Amino acid sequence: MDYYLQQLVIGLSLGMVYALVAIGFTLIFGVLNVVNFAHGEIYTIGAFAGLLLFVSFAPPLVVVLLVVLAVGALTGVGLERFAFKPFRRFNDEATLKSRAMREATLMSSLALSIVAREGIELVFGSQFQSLPLQHMLNSPIKIGPVTIVDGDLIIFGTSFLMLAGLQFVLKHTSVGLSIRAVSNNALGARYVGIDTDRTIAWTFAVGSGMGAVAGILVGLYYGAIFPAMGFTPGIKAFVAMVMGGLSSIPGAVICALIIGISEALSSIFVSSVWQDLVAYAFLIITLIFFPRGIFGGARERV
Amino acid sequence: MKNRRQLLALGSVLALGTLGLPAYAQQPTYKIGYQLPLTGNTAQYGIDFKNAAEIALDQFAKAGKSFKVEIVFEDSRSDTKEGVAIARKFVDDKSIVGVLGDFTSGVSIASAQIYKEAGMPQLSQTASHPDYTKVSEWQFRNITTQAQEGPLNAEWLYASGYRKVAVIAEQTDWGQTVVSNFADKFKALGGQVVFSEFFNRGLADFRPIITKIARDKPDAIYTGYFYEDGAQFLKQMKQLSVTIPVHSTSASYNQQLITLAGADAEGMKLTATFLPNNPSKNVQDFVAAWKAKTGQAEPGQFPAQAYDAVNIMLAALERAHPNVTRKSLRDQLAATKNFPGVTGDTTFDADREPSKKLVRAQVKNGAFVAVEK
Amino acid sequence: MNASDTTSRRWLWTGLILTGLFVIVPLLLSLAGRSYFYQIANTIMIFALLAASMHLVTGVAGLLQLGHAAFYGIGGYGAALLATHFKLSFAATIPLAGLMAALIAFLVAVPTMRLVSIYFAVATLGIGQMLHVITLNWVAVTKGPNGILLFGGMKLFDIDFSKPVPAYYLVAVIVAACVYVIHRLSHSYYGNALRALREDDQCADAMGINTPRLKLESFTVSGFFAGVAGALWAHTAGYISPADFNFNVSILILSMVVLGGLGSLPGSILGAIILIGLPEVLREFKAGDFRNIIIGVVLFGVILFQPRGLIGEVSALDFIRNQFGLGRKARSDGKQMRVGWL
Repeated sequence: MDYYLQQLVIGLSLGMVYALVAIGFTLIFGVLNVVNFAHGEIYTIGAFAGLLLFVSFAPPLVVVLLVVLAVGALTGVGLERFAFKPFRRFNDEATLKSRAMREATLMSSLALSIVAREGIELVFGSQFQSLPLQHMLNSPIKIGPVTIVDGDLIIFGTSFLMLAGLQFVLKHTSVGLSIRAVSNNALGARYVGIDTDRTIAWTFAVGSGMGAVAGILVGLYYGAIFPAMGFTPGIKAFVAMVMGGLSSIPGAVICALIIGISEALSSIFVSSVWQDLVAYAFLIITLIFFPRGIFGGARERV
Repeated sequence: MKNRRQLLALGSVLALGTLGLPAYAQQPTYKIGYQLPLTGNTAQYGIDFKNAAEIALDQFAKAGKSFKVEIVFEDSRSDTKEGVAIARKFVDDKSIVGVLGDFTSGVSIASAQIYKEAGMPQLSQTASHPDYTKVSEWQFRNITTQAQEGPLNAEWLYASGYRKVAVIAEQTDWGQTVVSNFADKFKALGGQVVFSEFFNRGLADFRPIITKIARDKPDAIYTGYFYEDGAQFLKQMKQLSVTIPVHSTSASYNQQLITLAGADAEGMKLTATFLPNNPSKNVQDFVAAWKAKTGQAEPGQFPAQAYDAVNIMLAALERAHPNVTRKSLRDQLAATKNFPGVTGDTTFDADREPSKKLVRAQVKNGAFVAVEK
Repeated sequence: MNASDTTSRRWLWTGLILTGLFVIVPLLLSLAGRSYFYQIANTIMIFALLAASMHLVTGVAGLLQLGHAAFYGIGGYGAALLATHFKLSFAATIPLAGLMAALIAFLVAVPTMRLVSIYFAVATLGIGQMLHVITLNWVAVTKGPNGILLFGGMKLFDIDFSKPVPAYYLVAVIVAACVYVIHRLSHSYYGNALRALREDDQCADAMGINTPRLKLESFTVSGFFAGVAGALWAHTAGYISPADFNFNVSILILSMVVLGGLGSLPGSILGAIILIGLPEVLREFKAGDFRNIIIGVVLFGVILFQPRGLIGEVSALDFIRNQFGLGRKARSDGKQMRVGWL
């Protein structure tokens, strides 16, 4: 019994990691309706920024997180400026919803992600970076029969804060109001006088800041910071977002947890090499029964 | 007076120059191709190889031989598409007489098809796929395969009194041989493999596997991983307070393992062919040159392999000189006998496989040290 | 322009392309005297076929496909297993590998047909990843990470096609034939129905086009050609392993299609030429470590300045409109612009 409990806890913490990445990813998708392929690289950039801070100044974790949040937000705004904004030259409804725009930004974000990843690789090399071990978030904590680490608590706390903070921003601030408006109907938002460009930039700032914080936290959690680190969490976050129904952030978080738990629990029965198969099979089955994601049924199809 | 001396000096330089010139002009340059990943996810290994090769080449140039050697490095990204293109490129260049690399077995084998067709000797420092040297008589490797290392480790674990062992390895061609060669011998000795599983290289979270292993309560864990996965595995074992002794192969031998895992790496045992604290002169020269060139700590197993591969190639060139062709170089490579490398003495057998002496080592106080048992 | 003009022009183009492919390129390559160029040319042709097959699904039918490498892999593994286990000849393995890939594509498409837009894309991503995990780990059948060595070479009617020049011709003939079929498919009534699906599937449905069936068919046909490409790769390389067919390859093929221009077959092929050729050109220029960054920058630049790709369908439409003097009219009333991509 302890064994199953332990696996469940591991799955939960794995899911929390995916959820952390999925929050920012979903926020950006929800507003622009485009996949941001560079989100994984924002995550990597966050991790490297944090690593540099630790190595050069060794500040306390909270300071690092705040700085990384700022770095991520700035990178996100830059990303939006270079990879997304140029494709909104036409401001008619057709352009905002057109597939060409969507596919072009898909590619432009992919292209920038290649440049970013290769650039990091050129500067730092593709190996795991050596991280001062005392900064790692992996001191074990025993709770009854199961073991967790302090990182689990920090990641849980951060995800919770992010979700709550996001909910607050979205529901109780004017920026949040305009984000929701643009997400709902970009053209309509424009007509009632909302500065859509600015709102979209804000969304990228918030979403990417969260992505960057996720990067440094997970990097410290596993002690693994390397240029390709954003790939797997990026894909899993993407899958979680779609399973959750694209624009529902709580939905994405719940699906990220489901994916994490199904991966850990599947390794009880089969070899761990098959755990990806289980996660993706889960995705396909979900999509067969809920063609618009588990929490996306209410949303009108665009 | 002063002028005369200067003139004299000038004259002697000129005389020396004219004397030396014919000899110098006759000095032929041989070209060797080296295909390796310098970008992409495995770039860290390729860059190490390149550094090691340049050290070997430097030392060769300083030794003042009667011919010169140039190495052409090409980046394969560990991608088959690019690897075969490079192979064609090397084959086309008539001045290239031999090829080193690639890093992964997959790219090495795909390229080997082209070298086989064109008749180009290929020496890989790391390709461990059992079929690699079977492609043709042109393929060599100087890394010990698990056919040698596995049984040795099986005997070691058995002699340590372990009867129930869990085996995990990465899901690659190499990992497959780690498990099969060890398990066969260990079972033949009378031991029991209670758990055997693979994982995908670069797996972030080993905890599900570790929890599973812990449930089977083995006496020891035998692991086939490279240093990065190794560090993750050891850290997460410590995290879950699982204290089963861990044994590994020479592939995890890298100082970075200890840097990444810190105290959690303490006590891991492994077999190795290369130990940087080996007092012999060639090892110490290499370690010193490596530190000077890269500014890093001691080199790991893989750069040492590359260093030896280059030197084996150079020695074969020297024996083939002055009639160096691809064919004669191949024959001289095949004739490599007791080559004193930093990873031990290399002799190619009839199947162009090396046999080397493996030593036992353990992580103690943050360093790999040789141990008896 | 009358009908006979169009026909003669079409023949002219066909003739030009065929002479280029079978006479001029080999001539140039032989003059250069390097098998390296043949290797690049083969890789380009195989990826051109892959891009063309994805063009049918993503470019023409507008279904974003993120797991195309899986069908490429099934073709490659199918051919390798048929050749090594069942000792089938080269000629037999190519179509059989294509059929195997088509069958799997069909089975995959049946449950995912109802999905629309990004949901479909993610489903293909998931299925692509699943198939990759299976080839990597089902060691008993695929030999897992060990990959498969093909010793047979490429023999057709007892003639060995393994040397660079014969291999080039063999690949060129097969790829040209496949691309021709794709060309005919995408420029027929059928292709127009697929375009209707891309522009507005609800509308296409309402107009009596059986959209699920259309999706199913285009997906299966695309799988077939990807399978043929995989078989060609397996035979020309002589060794395949799961790493040749991973997610990055799917993204590479998608990049080719988008770079060249969605909906344009020549565009897809141009995309393949650029994305396979450019890294090698940069290698010649000793770009070294900057190679991949430059590729990213080029990809970005093309998308930025030419959002519809290099020779995208709509640019072509605009071009024709200008030719017929309709361009200004289309611009002024705005709505005309919605034909195609905008």
